[in-house]
Amino acid sequence: MTATPIGSGVESAVRAQEGEDGPRPQPTWEKVLRRTGRAIIVAFWVMVVAFMLIRLSPGDPVSAALGADAAPDTVAAARKALGLDVDPLTQFWNYLTGLFRGDLGASLISGVPVTEMLRTNMPVTLWLIFTSVTMTLVISLPLAMFIAMARIPGLPYLFRTLTAIGLALPSFLVALILLYQFGLIWQVAPIFGYDPTFPANLQYLWLPSLVNCVVLVPVLSRVLYSSILDTLEEEFVETGVVRGVRWNRFYWLYVLRPSLAPTVVLLSYMMGVMVGSTVILEIIFALPGIGRELVTAVTMRDYPVVQGIILVFGILVVFLSLIGDIVASLLDPRVRLT
Amino acid sequence: MTITGAGTADWFDVKGTVPTPKNAKRLKDGTIGLITGLFLLVALLVLGIVVPLLSPFEVEISIDTPFLPPSGTYWFGTDGLGRDVFLRVFSAVYLDLGVALIGVLIPFCLGTIVGIGLAVSRSKTLNAVAGSIIDGINAFPLLVLAIALIALLGPGLQSVVVALSVTNWARYARLARTRALVVKQQGYIEATQTLGYSKPRTLFKHLVPNVSSETTAYALSDLILVILLIAGLSFLGLGAQPPTPEWGAMISDGRPNFQVAWWPVIFPGLALCWAGVSLSFIAEGLTRRERDVKS
Amino acid sequence: MSVNAMASESSDVLVEIRDLVIGIQRTRKDRLLIVESANFDIRRAEILGLVGESGSGKTMVCRSLIGTLKRRSASIFAGTIKFDGMDLAKLEERQWRSVRGSRIGYVPQSALTGANPVMTVGKQLGEAIRRNRKRKEKDVRRRVMELLELVHIRRPEVVYDQYPHQLSGGMRQRVMIAAAITQDPDIVVADEPTTGLDVTVQAEIMKLLKEIRSELKMSVILVSHDLALIDEVCDRLVVMHAGTCVEVGSVSAVARTPLHPYTIALNRSRIDISTPGAPLITIKGNPPAVGEWPAGCRFSDRCDFVQQDCTVGRNPVLVEVRPNHWSACLHAERLGGTSE
Repeated sequence: MTATPIGSGVESAVRAQEGEDGPRPQPTWEKVLRRTGRAIIVAFWVMVVAFMLIRLSPGDPVSAALGADAAPDTVAAARKALGLDVDPLTQFWNYLTGLFRGDLGASLISGVPVTEMLRTNMPVTLWLIFTSVTMTLVISLPLAMFIAMARIPGLPYLFRTLTAIGLALPSFLVALILLYQFGLIWQVAPIFGYDPTFPANLQYLWLPSLVNCVVLVPVLSRVLYSSILDTLEEEFVETGVVRGVRWNRFYWLYVLRPSLAPTVVLLSYMMGVMVGSTVILEIIFALPGIGRELVTAVTMRDYPVVQGIILVFGILVVFLSLIGDIVASLLDPRVRLT
Repeated sequence: MTITGAGTADWFDVKGTVPTPKNAKRLKDGTIGLITGLFLLVALLVLGIVVPLLSPFEVEISIDTPFLPPSGTYWFGTDGLGRDVFLRVFSAVYLDLGVALIGVLIPFCLGTIVGIGLAVSRSKTLNAVAGSIIDGINAFPLLVLAIALIALLGPGLQSVVVALSVTNWARYARLARTRALVVKQQGYIEATQTLGYSKPRTLFKHLVPNVSSETTAYALSDLILVILLIAGLSFLGLGAQPPTPEWGAMISDGRPNFQVAWWPVIFPGLALCWAGVSLSFIAEGLTRRERDVKS
Repeated sequence: MSVNAMASESSDVLVEIRDLVIGIQRTRKDRLLIVESANFDIRRAEILGLVGESGSGKTMVCRSLIGTLKRRSASIFAGTIKFDGMDLAKLEERQWRSVRGSRIGYVPQSALTGANPVMTVGKQLGEAIRRNRKRKEKDVRRRVMELLELVHIRRPEVVYDQYPHQLSGGMRQRVMIAAAITQDPDIVVADEPTTGLDVTVQAEIMKLLKEIRSELKMSVILVSHDLALIDEVCDRLVVMHAGTCVEVGSVSAVARTPLHPYTIALNRSRIDISTPGAPLITIKGNPPAVGEWPAGCRFSDRCDFVQQDCTVGRNPVLVEVRPNHWSACLHAERLGGTSE
């Protein structure tokens, strides 16, 4: 991706183009188009990596999956079904054309097409990501804003210490404890199961999303906090005060919005970490998402399913960070997309 | 002609309170955090040696009834197989931290070399292809890619290290390459060239130290992530296998009986947090100190 | 002649700053003074230059005029800023709202960071116009165009929809000047408005400020560390050193017959391009850091004419040595003839 997670890098990227060498406008549509083009290229390489992963495995994946004592003709049939019986280039061609036909192969175990599995399980994962991000933003924005502006002595110190602890908490432990506390002791959250219809699913999603918040809020709010501090130092805030802007407009246009770009870029980078942690959360909360399917497929050595799911995860992250970068550039026109 | 200016009486009141120049012996920002973090880390490392040495129990052998709550004999209670949780938690210190360290060092070295190599090389095709592959690998969530690789290699800590090395180098490579390109542009590198220094000298005396200072800073925060990742993979049953004492595996082990006995889950979990928090404090302390010096 | 006499001299005084003390309250008992004695007037429709090295407290004086000291955790400890019957030094935040923007405009220090990066030029100017009375969108746009033309921006219809970072530094600062005058204020405070600009652009901005003064009859307080830049546009000068106003007077008086060694030194340290090979003169030493001011005259450490009585007692105060020409030097009379 274009944007690096380290705060200073983002800031210098923002500042680098503020030189005195005259105006260099970059229209929004051009930025978005370029960034999308890049995302497509990365998506292609994601396909390549997903393809190579199975071919690079030591030993034969098919005999590994079926067991060493499988009949030779069963193995041969499985190889043919996987398309492993031709030379690698043809394999890659078949793989790519299959992708564009929407064919990701079928499970070695159950014979169910991978696309079929995705259709049922993908929405759960997407919902979990969506609710997690929403909750994280809803918590982080006011929190960082309050701590940066309240000027309560000692509060920033406490905030930094707590977030430093939060950064180091393992999500699966937090998940176990919260599940125990909310699900079993207080019984305010279901401990397993899922309802795919919209408002009903939130009942099952809020607790895992909260766990994701424990991981994401410290990272995000501290970046936003220092970003707001930097913005408050800037002179245009002074100009805004003198201009007499109304407070709600002032906080949004003069404080929060100029500070958001690094945060959004970081969030889009953190998508990878979060998508990873949803895998664990889906298992602990018994949510029927693709992360859980992935782990099942891995333990069963069901290669077509593994390949299909990691491909989807990869593309998902590419797509999410594309959205993140575009949002960042819309919020702050100084952000350059390459 | 009369004197004008300070006419008001509160002049002297104000003046009287001017004192105290800046306190020169002030502690730098972040020093307390750094010391706390180091202390926590050293304490954990010492306990990791001392506890297995002095404990009268065996790590992998059942010594009493399962699920005894914490008591004077068994400080952290016993687990589902009647083993001493206290001993097992601290026996895992070097395993968890050691694997994480290797899992960071290999990608760190590999990625830094590749990154600097790409930045130094003049081949455009090499840069384009390698850059794309790096982007392609980085697009995957680390955990997901590691899981997929473990599917091929079979579960176990060795697979975890291999999976980490194969995937995580790309992040370091991108960081090193970007940084090296920036450093290359800076005046002093050009200056060394005009001074007629040999290329290797420029490379190792100026480029490598500058780039690795950046990647080292990232490696420290990465170490926290990797510790959590290894425990997470073991929790999923893909890393350390029982009966190996490892925090993630222990948590996974105790999970089905969490309602009955919380101690086999919570204590390894706390140890994991301990390791993470100490490193987090160190990282935080270091960055704050650096910023304090700059300002 | 007393302080009050300083004002009564001229009936066209707009702002009267007396004994202004600004500082930071670090703990309950520990105050750090940044400005210790600011004394000067701003007259109607004049351009007043405020000169001094960095750290002399110029910016703090500016901030006290627009009421944004608190944001930098500083506050006014003593003194008055009389403006139109009000004392700005004692104004509440709510009262400030009717003063800022509509009575006192502000041109920020740096063209780079002074404009809000996430708003287009049109929006920023429109916001300032719309503030007091509700106006139709079309009227706002027309007024913005007028303002942009007033500050000599070519193709205002294009600039209207551009973001600040798409403009050059000079254009940006023109926009900021336009923003400062939208509500027809009595005073425009310009805090080093040409920082980071090319020399030619600096001159253009100065010219623009002068034009605005004569067309709109506004007072401009122009802060700079560069005496050479501003003495051509200013009517009067205030020289500040280490939190104190050391000399006040008309530009011609201050430039030709300076009455304070610091001003003399400032004058000398100008690079003289008309005489090639002339030695480059600098002021010896560094300006004393805030909180580490010497006893007696703050300039005594660096002064070429230092006498024994300069280093004892308290900081000397402004004295009207010549008509309308004040100096804070104990030996100002003797300096009278030593100028260039």
